[in-house]
Formats: sequence, C-alpha cells, structure tokens
Amino acid sequence: MIPVLDITRDVCPMTFVKVKMGLTKVGPSGRLNVVLKEEALKNVISSLKTEGHKVTRVEKKEAVFLLEVEKGGGAA
Amino acid sequence: MNEADYKELKKGGMMRQKEAGLFSVRLHVVGGRLATAQMRAIQEAADRFGRGSVHLTARQGVEIPFVPADFLAALKEFLMPSGVGVGVCGPTVRTVTACQGCRVCPSGVIDSPALADAVDREFYGKPVPHKFKVGISGCSNNCMKAEENDIGVKGVAEPRWTRDGCTFCGVCEAVCPTKVVGVSEGNGRVSVDFAGCIGCRDCIESCPTGAMAEGSRGYRLFAGGKFGRVPFLGKKILRVLRTGEEAIDAIGAAVEFFRAHGKPRERFGDTLQRTGFPALEAHIDERMGRKG
Repeated sequence: MIPVLDITRDVCPMTFVKVKMGLTKVGPSGRLNVVLKEEALKNVISSLKTEGHKVTRVEKKEAVFLLEVEKGGGAA
Repeated sequence: MNEADYKELKKGGMMRQKEAGLFSVRLHVVGGRLATAQMRAIQEAADRFGRGSVHLTARQGVEIPFVPADFLAALKEFLMPSGVGVGVCGPTVRTVTACQGCRVCPSGVIDSPALADAVDREFYGKPVPHKFKVGISGCSNNCMKAEENDIGVKGVAEPRWTRDGCTFCGVCEAVCPTKVVGVSEGNGRVSVDFAGCIGCRDCIESCPTGAMAEGSRGYRLFAGGKFGRVPFLGKKILRVLRTGEEAIDAIGAAVEFFRAHGKPRERFGDTLQRTGFPALEAHIDERMGRKG
C-alpha cells in the first residue's frame, strides 16, 4: 500500500516541504502518492526532478492531480 | 566654479540639486554590478566629497548626493583608478539594467550581464533624440521589466516535444501559463503554439518523463516601452533571436532607426506610434540581413 500525502491545502513552499518530509518516511526506491492542486504541479514536479526523484504516474482527478513519486537513490 | 568643474558639469551625469551649488553625482554602473573594491572607492568618495551617503537609483545605479560644485572634477579623478566612471543624462543611451542571468540564477536562460556589458560598450552615452533605456531579463520571469524599456530583452527557452516517453499525462498543458500547449492522446500528439509561447520553461521543468525538453534558447526583444508620466508597455518585435551578437545588432539597428525617425525630446515609443512597429522591424531585418 503506497502512502498518500494530501497537499491540496498547502501553498509553496510548504507543498514541497511536505513532499520532502513524506519521502523521508518511505524506504529507498519507495513510493509516495501525492494529491495536489494544479497550481502546485510545476513547483512540486520540478523540485522532485531536481532532487533526483521520479514521477512515475500522473492522474487527473476532477480538480486535483495525483502523482506517484518514486524516491530517488541519492536523496535522503 | 573653476574651469575643470565647469567642464565636468557640461559632460552630464552631475544632477543639479534643489540647493544651489550642490550636485548628485550619477555613477556609471552596468546591470547593477559593482566590485567590492569599487564599492569601497564609492564609499570613500561619498565621505570625502559628499555627506557620507549614497542613493541607489531606480535603474540599479548609484548616485553620490550633496557634492559641492567645486569638488566635481576632484571626485571624478578620485574614482577613476577604481574604474568607476561618471554616468550620463540628457538625450543619450542610458544605464543598461540586467539581472544576474544564467550564470547565477537557476531560472536564467541567457547571460544578461554579458549582454548588458556588450550593449553598454557599444551604445552607452551615445546621442539619440531622447533618453533611451535598455533592460535585460535573463528569462521570462522578467525581473528587469523588459516592457518598460525603450528596448527590453528577455531570455526565452522554447520547448521541443518528442513522442518517446510521453505518457500524455497532461501536466504540460495544465502548467502552461499562456495555454498554448495542447495534449491530444487520441492523436498521439502534443502541440505548442509558438506564436503565444513565452518561453518560460514551465512545461519543460514539470514534464515527468522529459518528453517535453528544451528545444532552443534565444533573445526576445520588446520596443517602445517607458514609464514616467505617461507609461507605455513595449511591444514584442521580431522573431526570437538566437545569439547575443544578433541581439546587439538588432539593438544597434533600433538605435539607428530612432536617430533617423525620432524627433527631439520624443521617446522611442512615441516615434514608433507614428511610424508603426512594422517599419522598425523592417529596418532591423534589413540591417541584419545586410550584415549576415
């Protein structure tokens, strides 16, 4: 079961801070599902890429998006 | 006032203050960059010749206020070894503003300080019908407000989509601020309307798979902008230029156009309102074509 992190009520920079915190709780190459609003997409995905994580799936669910994130090897 | 100070006064850059006999001395700063040694020289000059303060201007410059007329030549001489010159005023090409550009800023697309230096070397202080300001933004975030300059420049990065790896997730379409990206999974295509693309990289940076990647970088020019009493936003001109040299040539051709068509004390934007923007574009294209 992939843990789900809902950041739809957060704004930058807390959106990515919470995703970072969420990723510390999953093991190496572990996965995290992130539910977020459209306006957070760009910053969250670009930050994830910069830090070596991978977005493996994107799903649009009505007004929100769901990202499946695979934790990158090098990141804490 | 002695002869030397009077001569300095005539060259410009010494701004007369409200109180008779005092001047605010404008310094030559490019893109808001000063070496610390230059800052120390300016600090010392402000202590010696002014009243121990400097003013940071609206266009990234520095002025030393409260300098008595009798000290103008001495102040200039004092600053000379540090490489800090006196600025300009009147109907000339003014201070070139720039952000820190792609060598410093993570968002930077072009090397704005390098372009600012080149524009400064070629055109700073040169005569034109009215003041002429150039501002350079390293990317479409446009911190330097390209559209409020007589000629503004923005670094742009245009995306290139390849089908390989694309999952048609729709993120690029969702994040595009000008809504020019269209994702059609049915047709197996993602399209970009480049006429409306501002080159911001949002689609590139947020693409999970890298299917939307950077195609090419370039320089987008805007002409005729001003602020002041009657603000006017500069308009996008020309195609995206590919090199700094092309940008310099285009700016040179714009300055030439202004000299040929501008009336005394008429800002570039007002000249362009009379001539139309296509006339400027045709002139620049012709000059660049002739050169290239």
